[in-house]
Amino acid sequence: MFGNRAGKPASNGIVAGQTAGDTLRYRPAVTIRTVLRAAAVTGATFGVVLLGSPAFAAHRDDGDDPGKGLSGLETLLIFGVIPVALFLLIALLVSAPSIARGPRYRADRGWRGPPLVFGAPRDLQLPSGSTPSGAQAIEAAPGGSTSEPASEGGGASARW
Amino acid sequence: MLDGEVLTPRQQDEINRAIDIAQREGGLSFTVYVGPAIDDPRAFARKLLAALPDPEQSVVVVVDPTQRRLEIVMGSVAARNLDDRACALAAATMTSAFAAGDLSGGIASGIVLLGEQARHPRSLHLDNP
Repeated sequence: MFGNRAGKPASNGIVAGQTAGDTLRYRPAVTIRTVLRAAAVTGATFGVVLLGSPAFAAHRDDGDDPGKGLSGLETLLIFGVIPVALFLLIALLVSAPSIARGPRYRADRGWRGPPLVFGAPRDLQLPSGSTPSGAQAIEAAPGGSTSEPASEGGGASARW
Repeated sequence: MLDGEVLTPRQQDEINRAIDIAQREGGLSFTVYVGPAIDDPRAFARKLLAALPDPEQSVVVVVDPTQRRLEIVMGSVAARNLDDRACALAAATMTSAFAAGDLSGGIASGIVLLGEQARHPRSLHLDNP
């Protein structure tokens, strides 16, 4: 109590000093922990490898019969060409259906293609020609009619 | 590349089925236009409605993916069964699906919703004057 009241600025100074000290002490702690962790991982790995070192032994067992080695070209074929060919084949198989299907509606690319009409008679005349010149017509006639009340004849307008 | 197949046949079937359901439910005829609307979408929707054989009983839904606009207009008889609140609900349903990129699903669910909202009890002497 007394100490607090008497040395408020001082205590602030002490707190600031403590935080500074904490950050100072914090960084070495992290570094030490990182080093310890790296050492533990390295040590464990080497221990396992050393334990298993007989598996790396190059001496021949009795009765084994290794064939003749692969030539450079064969190695390249088996470990290079065949995996790449398999990769390409699988990639082609995956993307073939969408290539065959052609362009589809994507929300970010607008509408490409002729307009679709559902539920209308076959001989319906679309207003003022629904040809692909629609984009130009939209450009030419800027929408000044947004003030048209949506309640006229019922219905709703929306954007997305 | 085929240019006309922007919606797959299955998606188009989905919309057609929704229109059938809605027409059976509510007795109104529904027309959906998907594509760029010439000039103002609302005026375009009105013109499309006027071009239909039975505009009084019809509901027209215009979806313009390029302008990201949706318009629902209807004839006077249809407006008696479908109030603006139902239309706003359907519009919200559709636009939320459109915003997620689901064009055909949004149209289908909105149309079915409109059909359900348009359902009304048959009243003697009024429906068939």
